[in-house]
Amino acid sequence: MTYVASRGGEAAIEQAERLFRAELGPITPRQVDTIRQTLPWLIDRVMGEASLHDRDLAALALAQTGGELYEAVLLLRAWRTTQPRLAVAEVVHLDQTFAHRRISAAFKDLPGGQILGPTLDYSHRLLATDVLDGQTVTPPAVESADMPGAALLPALTDWQKAQGLIDDPTPASVAPDDIPDLTREPLLFPAARAHRLQSLARGDTGGMLALGYSAQRGYAAAHPTVNELRLAEAEVRVRHPDGTPFSVGRVRLSSCEMVSKTTNPDTKAEYLKLGFTATLGWNEVKVIAGSTLDLNMQTGGARPATNEEFVLSHVEPVEASGFCIHLKLPHYVTFQSALDALRGIRRDGGQVRSADEVMEEAEARTAAARNTMEPAQ
Amino acid sequence: MTRLSTLAGTWEPMSYAFLDASAKREVRRRMLKALAIPGHQVPYASREVPIARGWGTGGLQVTLSLLRPGLRVKVIDQGADDSVNAVNLRRFMMRTAAVEQTTDALEADIIQSRHRIPEETLAEGQILVLQVPDPEPLRPIEPDMSTARQMHGDADYGRMWLMLYEQIVRSGRVTQGAAYPAMVNGRHVMTPSPIPRWDLPKLHMARHITFLSAGREKRLHAVPPFTDVRPLVFDDVPFAVEDHATLTCAKSGLRGTFMNEIPLDDGGTLYETSDTGLAIKVLSTQGGTPQPIGTTWYPVTETQP
Repeated sequence: MTYVASRGGEAAIEQAERLFRAELGPITPRQVDTIRQTLPWLIDRVMGEASLHDRDLAALALAQTGGELYEAVLLLRAWRTTQPRLAVAEVVHLDQTFAHRRISAAFKDLPGGQILGPTLDYSHRLLATDVLDGQTVTPPAVESADMPGAALLPALTDWQKAQGLIDDPTPASVAPDDIPDLTREPLLFPAARAHRLQSLARGDTGGMLALGYSAQRGYAAAHPTVNELRLAEAEVRVRHPDGTPFSVGRVRLSSCEMVSKTTNPDTKAEYLKLGFTATLGWNEVKVIAGSTLDLNMQTGGARPATNEEFVLSHVEPVEASGFCIHLKLPHYVTFQSALDALRGIRRDGGQVRSADEVMEEAEARTAAARNTMEPAQ
Repeated sequence: MTRLSTLAGTWEPMSYAFLDASAKREVRRRMLKALAIPGHQVPYASREVPIARGWGTGGLQVTLSLLRPGLRVKVIDQGADDSVNAVNLRRFMMRTAAVEQTTDALEADIIQSRHRIPEETLAEGQILVLQVPDPEPLRPIEPDMSTARQMHGDADYGRMWLMLYEQIVRSGRVTQGAAYPAMVNGRHVMTPSPIPRWDLPKLHMARHITFLSAGREKRLHAVPPFTDVRPLVFDDVPFAVEDHATLTCAKSGLRGTFMNEIPLDDGGTLYETSDTGLAIKVLSTQGGTPQPIGTTWYPVTETQP
């Protein structure tokens, strides 16, 4: 009989999932390949929010969910969390990354130059409707520059530090295994610097955009300038057990530094302050918004974008989306409880027992339960 | 030369009960700490699990870290074993850990529940795992968790009392529905999760262990056996549970259980016992197959349905 009782729900959720998957159809290796090759920017966005750099898995997650982004990120996060940590990679320095695109809004030109790289920034946003009429639209070939660009570009902050424009704090020396890891520890506030940057790296692109934009529109103190934006590839270097460092491959990486003029409240000295965000994959809007938020969170204040706890708690894609959709779950017990309170107010009183009565009853029952297992009548 | 494969264990695509050993160890340590400080919220890493956040992932992590083959597990949502999300969580436990399922609160080793505590009194050795959406009882008055954490440290509950007082002044009674705040062991104010007020007295001096775990908010707290749990009430304004004691279940004829209210086409109302495990045992007994019914916290009587 109990088995019968649990069958209704089980059959319902089984068929509902089948319906979703039936509409997507079979998942083939070819389809996963196509997604990986044709939607690199979507793959990058998902890899960043999942904090897992694996294009094949990201493409598979997109295929499996039909492009439901939050579901895809959750699939990858749940897979990621079960994987062992084999090694901690060496620190990646910006000037050691292979920049495909590197721009600064702070200076007309800078050491290493402005490298526009691949971008739609200066495109006319016109739909290529010819494709729907059966034509293939082939982009014109890229014309090579006369001189190949430098593989490595210096970081602008090195020049600024040399000029004494920005602080150059000594990096804290932390053993690789002791670097705080948000995926293995709870996030507490004020957050460790590592936790904050990890939160932003894993953050929801849309959520970070909304909060970063609010700062831009005046709901925050800092009015920043893009100091340096990079879309790059970085070598992941780990140490072989015999001590030799070697590269296990490259990851796509975006980073952004925002800069703003600030007054030191103690010394009244004017200086430049940096905000930073980096993420796996190429996702410009996310790192620009993220570094804006990092800058504003340093300032502090009551506005959403300046409050670290507010920002980091609400840009978490898996938590935010999950809790939003959980509202679909049945809530009829809590609703019933609220209805009772509402009706009680309308009834203006009614039969209520005193707290002492309730607690005395609880104690008496516990004592009775210890002495007998007889059912209550 | 020793081959690596002879040293390593057999590769499995998934750990037993999904979470890897280090994740389980972390959760268990936090659970022990939570037991040692009743009602205190202990932060934990809260790994992603293959279930959406806000859908019982906190309760699930506690349950997964306790599972071992042969344990009997009951999973309920809104009191019902066949509620869709309860079914889904149970399916996940069965899939990743060879446990047995039961709908009988008396024979379950672990009961994972959302929003209800069974009507039958749980015994020593049983573990109740409550899913918690918001572990912070102070949230209505202080949304920043860091500040609320400090307030708990200082036992600074003045604003909490003020909130309840204002409800009485404005509405003539405390308007809090479910998730009624409770003082645990005379020290920490906790949320009992969104259980109805009806269920809150069941935690006082209970013989079972209760874990309350919020996966999304990364906090868990606990009520160890025989712990004082009292609703926050003023001496002269009594604590009132939902007015369900006089309602009768239309299916089983039970009285004295928390009820689901079902609106009818003709404008009337029908009531059903929310605890389906209990209702089905009673129905089964009425149908000629007697089932053991345990002690219930409230006096439960049977009338002709």
